[in-house]
Amino acid sequence: MAKKLGKKARKFAHKHLQGGAKRSRKLRSQFNRRTRKDGKGREDDNRLDGDGGSEETRRNDPTMNMNDDVATLANCLEFPEDENELDGDLSDSDGYLSEDLECVYYSDSDDDNVMKECIVQDDLDEQNNEMRLAVKKQKKKLKKLLDKDPKFANFLEKWQLELVNYESKEDSDEQDEMDSVDNGVNSGDKDPPSDKILTSKTISEWCQLVLDEPKAPALRNLLNAFRDACQFGLNSNSLSMQRLQSTEVFYQIISFVLSKADNIFRALLEISDDDKGKLMNQRNGKKWQDIEPLIKSYLRNSLDLISQLTDNQILTYVLTRLRTSAVYFSAYPSTSRRLLKILIRLWASGDQNLSLSSFLMIREVVSLLPDCLDFCLTKTYNAYLSSSKIVDNRNIENIDFILNCLVELYSLDIQKAGERAVISVGQLSAILRQASKTKGKEDLLKIDNWQYINCINLWVRFICVNYKDCHNLHLLFSSVVQIIRGVAHLLPGMRYLPLRLKLAHMLNELSNCSQMFFPVPSLIFGSLEFREIPPKEQTEKGKTHFSSLLKVPRNMLKSRDFQEQCVLSAIEVLSAHFFQWSYHVSFPEVATIPLILLKRLQEQTTIESLRRPLKRMIDQVSENRDFVQRKREVVSFSPNDASSVESFLQEEEMNGDASFTQFYASVAKSRQSRGRKLV
Amino acid sequence: MGKSSKKNKVILAPPLPPEVDDEDIIVSDEDVDFVEENREHVHLITGLNRKALDKVVTRVPDHDEDKVELLYEERERKRRAALALKPKDDDDLEVDPVDALPVKTLQGELLYRTAKRARSEDKAKGAESKSDDKDADAKQSSQKECKGRSNKKEDSKLQNVQRPLEIPKEKLHSVVLEEVKEELSADELFEKKKAQLAELGMAMLEDPESNIRSLNDLLIICNDTDQRVVKLAIMSLLAVFRDIIPSYRIRQLTEKELAVEVSKEVKKTRYYEYTLIRSYKAYLQKLISLEKQPYFYLVAVRCLCSLLDAAPHFNHRESLLASVVKNLSSSNDVARKLCSEAIRSLFRNEGKHRGEATVEAVRLISASVKLNDCQLHPDVIEVCLSLKFDEDLGKDESKEEKLKPKKNKRYQNRDVTKPSEKKKIKKELLSKARQEVHADLRAVSFTLDPKEKKMIQRETLAALFETYFRILKHSMNTSNSRYKATSVFPGGSHPLLAPCLEGLGKFSHLIDLDFMSELIACLKKLSGYTDHQGEIPPDNTLSVSERLQCCIVAFKVWRSNLEALNVDLQDFFVQFYNLILEYRPDRDRGEVLADALKTLLWEGKQQDMLRAAAFIKRLATFALSFGSAEAIAALITLKHLLQKNTKCRNMLENDAGGGSLSSLVAKYDPEAKDPYLSGALATVLWELSLLQKHYDETVSGMASNILSMANLNATQNPVQLSSSNPLEAYKDLSMGRELSKPTHKVSQTLKSKRKRRSKEFVALSPDVLEKADCTVGEDELREKLQNHFVVLRGISENERLRTELNHALSSINMYKEYNKQKKESKKSKKKVAKA
Repeated sequence: MAKKLGKKARKFAHKHLQGGAKRSRKLRSQFNRRTRKDGKGREDDNRLDGDGGSEETRRNDPTMNMNDDVATLANCLEFPEDENELDGDLSDSDGYLSEDLECVYYSDSDDDNVMKECIVQDDLDEQNNEMRLAVKKQKKKLKKLLDKDPKFANFLEKWQLELVNYESKEDSDEQDEMDSVDNGVNSGDKDPPSDKILTSKTISEWCQLVLDEPKAPALRNLLNAFRDACQFGLNSNSLSMQRLQSTEVFYQIISFVLSKADNIFRALLEISDDDKGKLMNQRNGKKWQDIEPLIKSYLRNSLDLISQLTDNQILTYVLTRLRTSAVYFSAYPSTSRRLLKILIRLWASGDQNLSLSSFLMIREVVSLLPDCLDFCLTKTYNAYLSSSKIVDNRNIENIDFILNCLVELYSLDIQKAGERAVISVGQLSAILRQASKTKGKEDLLKIDNWQYINCINLWVRFICVNYKDCHNLHLLFSSVVQIIRGVAHLLPGMRYLPLRLKLAHMLNELSNCSQMFFPVPSLIFGSLEFREIPPKEQTEKGKTHFSSLLKVPRNMLKSRDFQEQCVLSAIEVLSAHFFQWSYHVSFPEVATIPLILLKRLQEQTTIESLRRPLKRMIDQVSENRDFVQRKREVVSFSPNDASSVESFLQEEEMNGDASFTQFYASVAKSRQSRGRKLV
Repeated sequence: MGKSSKKNKVILAPPLPPEVDDEDIIVSDEDVDFVEENREHVHLITGLNRKALDKVVTRVPDHDEDKVELLYEERERKRRAALALKPKDDDDLEVDPVDALPVKTLQGELLYRTAKRARSEDKAKGAESKSDDKDADAKQSSQKECKGRSNKKEDSKLQNVQRPLEIPKEKLHSVVLEEVKEELSADELFEKKKAQLAELGMAMLEDPESNIRSLNDLLIICNDTDQRVVKLAIMSLLAVFRDIIPSYRIRQLTEKELAVEVSKEVKKTRYYEYTLIRSYKAYLQKLISLEKQPYFYLVAVRCLCSLLDAAPHFNHRESLLASVVKNLSSSNDVARKLCSEAIRSLFRNEGKHRGEATVEAVRLISASVKLNDCQLHPDVIEVCLSLKFDEDLGKDESKEEKLKPKKNKRYQNRDVTKPSEKKKIKKELLSKARQEVHADLRAVSFTLDPKEKKMIQRETLAALFETYFRILKHSMNTSNSRYKATSVFPGGSHPLLAPCLEGLGKFSHLIDLDFMSELIACLKKLSGYTDHQGEIPPDNTLSVSERLQCCIVAFKVWRSNLEALNVDLQDFFVQFYNLILEYRPDRDRGEVLADALKTLLWEGKQQDMLRAAAFIKRLATFALSFGSAEAIAALITLKHLLQKNTKCRNMLENDAGGGSLSSLVAKYDPEAKDPYLSGALATVLWELSLLQKHYDETVSGMASNILSMANLNATQNPVQLSSSNPLEAYKDLSMGRELSKPTHKVSQTLKSKRKRRSKEFVALSPDVLEKADCTVGEDELREKLQNHFVVLRGISENERLRTELNHALSSINMYKEYNKQKKESKKSKKKVAKA
């Protein structure tokens, strides 16, 4: 139940329905700072999502970073955010569009049974019923009292008057703090629309009208209805509560407007699909002037809807629908900002589809509105860092996805991204140096940390994606390489093998994109050492995959499972490394030392399940080695002939049909499936 | 304290003579004379001084000296039993002088003690008066101790104040004091003791000679029950001792010397020295006993180390050294570090103790190694690396010995030719006298004549090598896995081996030639070399680093002995050739490997061509699999080998047909165990072409540099990139060093070569993006939206009802209020009515 609560609803649920709301809030309220809160709510917020609540204070005070290590790391890595924002674009007008009186409100008798129609589905209704009874009871009591003592009525009246005065004063105070959007609800209604109940029949009639003729005045009514639907529940006294009585109507309005609005607007503006330039040009034209209030209303109310909705699927749907209209948002920069905030929160929420659709929307908005890019880069980066605090089997794919999205965003504007990259890498480097200087436990903990590693990973991916397009990346490149090597150097030992494997993967990636040689095997030689397994194997097998670990727990260190994973992951990393140089003239030498170790391990190991993959690896590598050796015996150039070395086996590489290529593909595949099995 | 002194003052006030005031101000010689004449006044003087403690600091030194003299004289007079005031007292005390001892060792609180001490003091005085004859000699006896202490008390003002005439009264006092004491909180006591310590310490530093007896006070405080006080006390004593210990060793007086009458001055000095030594000894004993208690452990060790550092020449060095050496292997890191630092400074500053302490320390280390079966912390041996020996120590020994007899002969000849017996005797006398003078001079000036120095160094060296060889032997004997699990110290089963090898390397030039072959054989075995090729001894528990070190040491020994040794080091090359493959970056120490490269290959002269080729190939392969630091060390060595062995440069070129140099083995075997059989000459250094692509510019530059050698003549060498040796290059590129380098600011902005169209995706794979278009089914959407609506409505409804309910409830509550008000108004009305 709690998941379905909107903004207003969350506040309410928090106040009165303890427990249920917490879960959902924990998941996503991190970035939703703009919810209306009374004092108590804010306090509770801070308690609930500890890092979210005190975010601002911490950001302002960098010395305060001893609170807890993980959060502080995030803090030193995060970009400072500018919390000030203006949301004046859309909210300067009142909420309602003036309606054409010609449009008829129909009343239909079908909707009379509104109340009964709703399904009693949760304890909320039960509670409501109970409360209704209680109210009745109390009112009876009150009546008795009043009957008994008529003078009391006077007294009560006086008191109530006082109370009302007091409340209204408080309300007006509160109003100031509220979103300006909400102001529109209560204040400035110069032309309050009719408070007639919207019926299903009315809506379908209107829809028909609008579909027939986009310019029909019914559009305004429909959009007003949409507004009511979107604001439904925001304020219990508002008109929307009265106007909307049935679930069917609610659905009708929302689904129709969302699915058709974009087309209607385009028709009104007379522009075809995907013609953004034209829209931009039309900004000052007459058509735009005419239709602008409609669009404004539509956008603003959709925004409200997004911030209210809690179901991932509906959100995905709404976002997909809204994406086509993203271009309109570009006319309202500060609203776009608000939209982006909501989108970023949804993007980091963890649901794959929702993430994806919100990311696409973000990308759309940002590419149309370059002004928002800075804001967006900061926000998304910080969101990435805080969502990558903890990595486990479940969210590992999601983090990878978010990482890729982030790289997409950062690649939109290389120059801006580059500045940020330099800052962030500088921070990483400073932390590393500090740790290397003191070797203190606390400082090392800042490195031995998912956020740190994920941050490196981000920049590695960023460099890889942009290496070819960008000619002066190499300084950033070398800093990142230094950080990777430094981390491997500062955290030695078998316990950090998973971390090493990650670093090795990063080096492989970098090596792949830059075509530079990295001695990757040296990082993982440790895992190819033979270790004796204690005869009495622990029965409980820690089924945690290396990908979700940085440090192996001590009790796992001697287990058979650990050994197995060690060797298998080492084979993966090595095969990736070999694959890259499998057509290089010196492949035999590249493979020499690892091959010796693999062979030795194969002889010594007592784990049967490792024999086969080891043998396969050895065979494949040896085969490729012999292949290259055979080929190079017949060539006549020397090692210092760079161009000839380059062209050596080029053709074969193009064809990619050497057995090692296929072997690597299969290894990569099995790795993926293995990872998935564990998820 | 303050209270007691006040009280005492009250008691003493009546008999005070009027001169008191004068004494307090300035004491001239006449005054002193006057005081001497009137014995009783002495007490008063001291008593007043005690009261005016603050003035102690500002006292003029000669005043104190006078006072000391006064005290001596006072004692003399006592002996003559000229005491007029308290003859009974003395008699009483003389009855049982032994009683004085238990009183002193009492560990009660200070106030309590002072009361008793005052009494014991009197007793002691009595005892002293009887045994004054013995006082003259410096023998250590319990009686003497009593005397010393009582003397000190006389000097320290507190006790003298308490010299009440009637014993019962004093007893009353002590009872009262006890009560008062109980009332005092522990903290106050602590503060007081702290203040007392400070006073005593300041007095000691101010004027050690006259306040020497305060040492005893301090020592007594060391027995306090409050641990904090004890800690402070031993710290203050440390400071005092560090300051007052003379720069010479205090010698025990011989019987003869004791028999001789000496002047007052000498007596005074003797007394001072004697007291110093005695308290120093007591202090050391205290420290050594405290060291066993965990609470005091660190403090005690710190004091011991500090003392050793400050006074390595002084008496009782043996116990000091023994304790420090014992703690070299402590499991406490801090203590170990302190001790090793103390020993190192001992070794470095031999001038302080003429090297004698060095020998003793090394011998103690040796004994401790022997005793513990080589299972000690590496620090024990590591300190020996700080030893310094003269370069010519080992070698010139024989020559000098050869020279000496000649000289002697000449002298003898000359002596024979001497005609006059008288002259001879005269000369002998003269030379004897001269020798004596010389000896004295040396004893004073601390300079050693070269011969003596050499002897000391030789002894040190012998002890050192004995230790080293013991460790080596031990490592050989136990290389089977017996010790595997038991070791608690870092460095595997042979914690001492690594520093031992390092030491052997450092002092290799001092090793006796006789041991050489044995040593080399030993090292060979340790390095893991077996005569059976192609078989790794499985039981060899030495780490790769240690084995590499063995190779290094062997070469260093060989080389530092002018390479004249008829030892075949071929096996070490073979071993090294194989060890290169065993290296693991994090497990083994890269410096050792780089050092081995430097020692074995880089520094060597012309190598055998086959061997050089094998190493070249292996190093090139090695550079491909390891980090940049290791790679650069390997490449520098490789380049050096190519420069020295010009024929090997053929490996840089792909000479179709196997090349002009045919070797025994036609095909290269990368896994060969024997460099001679690897057939490396038949191969091409393809690795370099890949190393040119190395991410590290240093490495790729070096690879290119080496490749450029192919185009040059045999006599030409390419441009020198850097003149550093492999070890330096390694250190320069190692991660630790790299991280300590300052960061260069990456300030330049990135520029994209081409503008990317916004539709293009770079990081996300297309199949992920496909998922984006999945839409929700209409029914599902309807249901969910409707649910959403229902929930919202429910909530609004709930809220509305709640406010309504609250309203109703509060209205009902208001009724009570209403009633109250009504009653009140009624009451007031009534009141008004009544009024």
